[in-house]
Amino acid sequence: MEIYIIPLLFALIAAIAPKNLVKHVGLVGALSSLVVTLTQVVSFSPAETVTLFDPNFITSFGLTFKMGYDGMGLFMVLLTNVMIPIILLSNLNRSIANEKSFNSMVMLMQFGLVGVFTAMDGIMFYVFWELTLIPIFLIVLWYGAPERKNILIKFFIYTFVGSLGMLLSLMALGTYAKDFSHESLVAIQLVPKTAFWIMGGFFLAFAIKIPLFPFHTWQPTTYTVAPMAGTMLLSGLMLKMALFGMIRWMIPLAPEAMADFKCIVITLGLIGILYAAIIAIKQSDIKRLFAFASISHVGLIAAGIMLFDKETLSAVFIQIANHSLVAVGLFLAAGILEKRLGTRTLSEMGGVAKLAPKFGFWFAVIAFASVSVPFTSGFIGEFLLLKGLYGYNWMVGLAAGTTLVFGAVYTLRAYQLSMYGAPKMESFKDLTWNELLAFFLITVFILIIGVYPQVVIDFVGPSLDKLFLSMQASNTLIP
Amino acid sequence: MSVDQLILMILALPLLGALINGTLGKNMSKQLVGSIATVVMFVSFALALMVFNSNHTTQLIQLFDVIKLDDFTLHARLQVDSLSIWMTLIVTGVGSLIHLFSMGYMSHDKGYYKFFTYLNLFIFAMLILVLGSNYFMLFFGWEGVGICSYLLIGFHYSDEQKGMLNGVAARKAFIMNRIGDLGLLIGLFLILSQFGTLEYTELADKLTIENIEPSTWMMFGITLCLFIGATGKSAQIPLFTWLPDAMAGPTPVSALIHAATMVTAGIFLVVRSNFMFETPGAQITQDIMLYVGLATSLVAAFIAMRQNDIKKVLAYSTVSQLGLLFVALGMGAYTAAMFHVTTHAFFKALLFLGSGSVIHAMSDEQDIRKMGGLRKFIPITHATFLIGTLAIAGFPLLSGFYSKDEILAHAVMHSPVIYAILMVSVAMTAIYMFRLYFITFHGSFRGSDEAKHHLHESPKSMTIPLLVLAILSVFGGLLNLPGVILAKGTHWMSHYLEHNTRGLELIKTEHLTNSQAMLLMGGAVLMTIIILFGTFVVYVKRNSVAKSDEQLKGWELASNQKLYFDEIYNALFVKPIEWISVKLHQFVELFVLNKSILGFVGLIDKSGNIVRKWQSGIVASYLFWMVVGIVGLVVYYLVKF
Repeated sequence: MEIYIIPLLFALIAAIAPKNLVKHVGLVGALSSLVVTLTQVVSFSPAETVTLFDPNFITSFGLTFKMGYDGMGLFMVLLTNVMIPIILLSNLNRSIANEKSFNSMVMLMQFGLVGVFTAMDGIMFYVFWELTLIPIFLIVLWYGAPERKNILIKFFIYTFVGSLGMLLSLMALGTYAKDFSHESLVAIQLVPKTAFWIMGGFFLAFAIKIPLFPFHTWQPTTYTVAPMAGTMLLSGLMLKMALFGMIRWMIPLAPEAMADFKCIVITLGLIGILYAAIIAIKQSDIKRLFAFASISHVGLIAAGIMLFDKETLSAVFIQIANHSLVAVGLFLAAGILEKRLGTRTLSEMGGVAKLAPKFGFWFAVIAFASVSVPFTSGFIGEFLLLKGLYGYNWMVGLAAGTTLVFGAVYTLRAYQLSMYGAPKMESFKDLTWNELLAFFLITVFILIIGVYPQVVIDFVGPSLDKLFLSMQASNTLIP
Repeated sequence: MSVDQLILMILALPLLGALINGTLGKNMSKQLVGSIATVVMFVSFALALMVFNSNHTTQLIQLFDVIKLDDFTLHARLQVDSLSIWMTLIVTGVGSLIHLFSMGYMSHDKGYYKFFTYLNLFIFAMLILVLGSNYFMLFFGWEGVGICSYLLIGFHYSDEQKGMLNGVAARKAFIMNRIGDLGLLIGLFLILSQFGTLEYTELADKLTIENIEPSTWMMFGITLCLFIGATGKSAQIPLFTWLPDAMAGPTPVSALIHAATMVTAGIFLVVRSNFMFETPGAQITQDIMLYVGLATSLVAAFIAMRQNDIKKVLAYSTVSQLGLLFVALGMGAYTAAMFHVTTHAFFKALLFLGSGSVIHAMSDEQDIRKMGGLRKFIPITHATFLIGTLAIAGFPLLSGFYSKDEILAHAVMHSPVIYAILMVSVAMTAIYMFRLYFITFHGSFRGSDEAKHHLHESPKSMTIPLLVLAILSVFGGLLNLPGVILAKGTHWMSHYLEHNTRGLELIKTEHLTNSQAMLLMGGAVLMTIIILFGTFVVYVKRNSVAKSDEQLKGWELASNQKLYFDEIYNALFVKPIEWISVKLHQFVELFVLNKSILGFVGLIDKSGNIVRKWQSGIVASYLFWMVVGIVGLVVYYLVKF
């Protein structure tokens, strides 16, 4: 229970703590959660399923309150509780870190995320999913760029429509299942037509959150106006809820619709990979450029999920971790440039590497990780994902493979325009200790997964096997 | 020490050097940084020689499993056989000399420790590439050398004038290589889907012993994809334009990466995969390889004729020689290609380092029109550069003469037409190389007085590598003497490579009679000497200097302007993609998608008017009550639990 109580508790403490202590409260809270998660990881054997909360009570409408994790759930919790301290750490030298409400909201976000990743009941999943919307909405509202108002409304309507789809699907499923627990929902078998609409509802929610083409138009604007911490939370963690949701909920609950959906989602993912990558090539705003880059990268992951075989899903988890690390790193770099220079426009930057060599180095490391060079987590993740897609259809593999080329084009362009050449500014303050430490930690994790990706596969593999088994076991056909 | 341990040390040493210099180099003296980087290289080379001397058989060294899934495993595994050892010798041998040279050449550079870190890292990646036992390891090293090449081309990224341009050159190299890499990657997937493994020995077994016969189209597809990968790294048409631009990097980088080692990775890939390229389906690929190589060889040689940047001439010469190598591979003459790879590594490294020594003496001037008469000022550089020039031009008894001759002999057997076209390329090579040599080292000095005052011979750390490479360039031909010279003991290198490298038919000796062979050689010798005399008359006796850019017209202009490849690619690929990028954003993203969404939202808004009356419409209040509800429920059940 500690992984829920600690963030909630610290969300409260941060709200009432004295202002000069509040940033430490946030960090202590995040680190405590990490320590708890680490003890859970140490005592965890990948094949088991741990129940965290189960009152053995079913409400009249089928809510079971079940919470718990298996390998992939714990992996996501670990990712969350590693990334939250890094995100807080990288914001430590900014005024936002001293805000009570900011720290409180990040803790609430952590609570919501952990809930999403450990929910074993459909309604609980939905509730935690919705809960995460509050802190991110408020963080952008309170601390975002001046032009945020309309953009936020668009963001909110988008996610709300998506959530509605998911809720309808859950309700529909509820009429067939005896309760909303994950096992009960998986156990029912649907006729393809019903399954199509049920998967469609989930897909709407997840496609918007990821986001997939053409449900993505809220993303570049929201990423751009959100404060750095908000963009990090959105790209580093929140979109992973949707990717995870596809694996845990969308496909296992209505696998009968895969025949129809597989092709649709892979096509959309593929369009997104190319579309966003091509648009990213000529973007002038560095944050928006990385936002489009993110759409391109997650399109590949979403397409990989739809293949739903163990090999590709293992790669998906590697890429999920990789994307979290790289996105947070890239938006940290963009945030540093924006804060120090007061602009996000690439043409007004240039020559920063000469004035701030440390920043130049670490930004380069993250940029290289983003183009998946050897020894970084993206290298093996992308290799396996592309292999999977190639096995599905060679043209899909080839088209998705162009990310190898386009990724290099826009990432290196962004890096070179901002960092190379003669400096266009008088001075540029090099990295502060907390920024340096954040870059360093991100890099360490990127290298660990890059050199020994098997660690991820061993962690999530058995739970994937179990998921497949439980899906095969479902047999009762319901119209 | 066993071969296993030796190989591991060969691999670990450059990585160790990179780690030490990368982490601590900033606070160490330049002397120490350079010494560490160079010493690890020489020790690596010495260990490679020990492996070479030990009577080794084909060995696999398992490091660990990168990925182990139910039906598919990627091994981090090394393969020691003649081919990988031979490449290791070239990489570490030429590499050590270039490290030594760099100690002097880079001595005034601020990024000294970074330079040696990247250089050591490059060697490590290159060794992974050649020593790996499967295509995954090769791809790992392949991408690794790509990123090191990027870092080193753009090494002077903060330069006031050229910083951005260096970056653009680096980016161009990386991206063009990535296009080839995509081909290679698809090739890997094809191999996996067909054979279920990426291990060289297992693949060779399947094709040769188990006699698995994949469809013709499959083998064509696989080999074509591998070749596409090779065109990127080894700068063949259509992916060759990055290599001349890569000369933006410091000259030792051009010598090591863009002449002697990395660009031969494509050749290595094909030789390594010879068992694939010898299957029936791959014959079309072989032909494609032959003609692409032939075209590249001619085009690059033509462009080199009227280049005035000393490094650009050498760069196009490298492209041209690589083309020649692909012609050899297209004919299945794998050991002949490896022989030329070896001699080319010697004399091209020598020429590049020599040009580095010239540039060093000229205070960073690279335009040969501002040089002239340098032989009096920098005698060692001059003598060694002359040897390099003679070697690449195929002057009798020097290394390039033998290695080129072997390829030409294969060409005669293959088709007289191809032989004739190759001879044109060979002749052009001799012409532009002698032109380069005479304009740079003969005549009178054409630079400013200040530049003349500054002229000086390079330090020992730079001249010693030049001398060693010059000796190798002279005697390198002895490695693989043709049958016509001696009764026995010939073709030593071919036999060495063949004796434990897996393949169907690695050696293809040219079955020419002695008189035919002598006739070929005689013709080549005669041509070289005529060209030497001709260029001597034009550039020394008549003292004509290269024309200024405005005076050029006709074929000279086309050559000088690189046949407009960059402009054509720009118009065909770069501009359209940028146009699409802008239009997609303007119209599809901001107009179509955004507008339609807003319209949809408006629709909801209208229908919402009806239900709005009993909804407060304040989002925060919905969310607030929702949370209250959740928290209440959780607390309730917590208490109850």
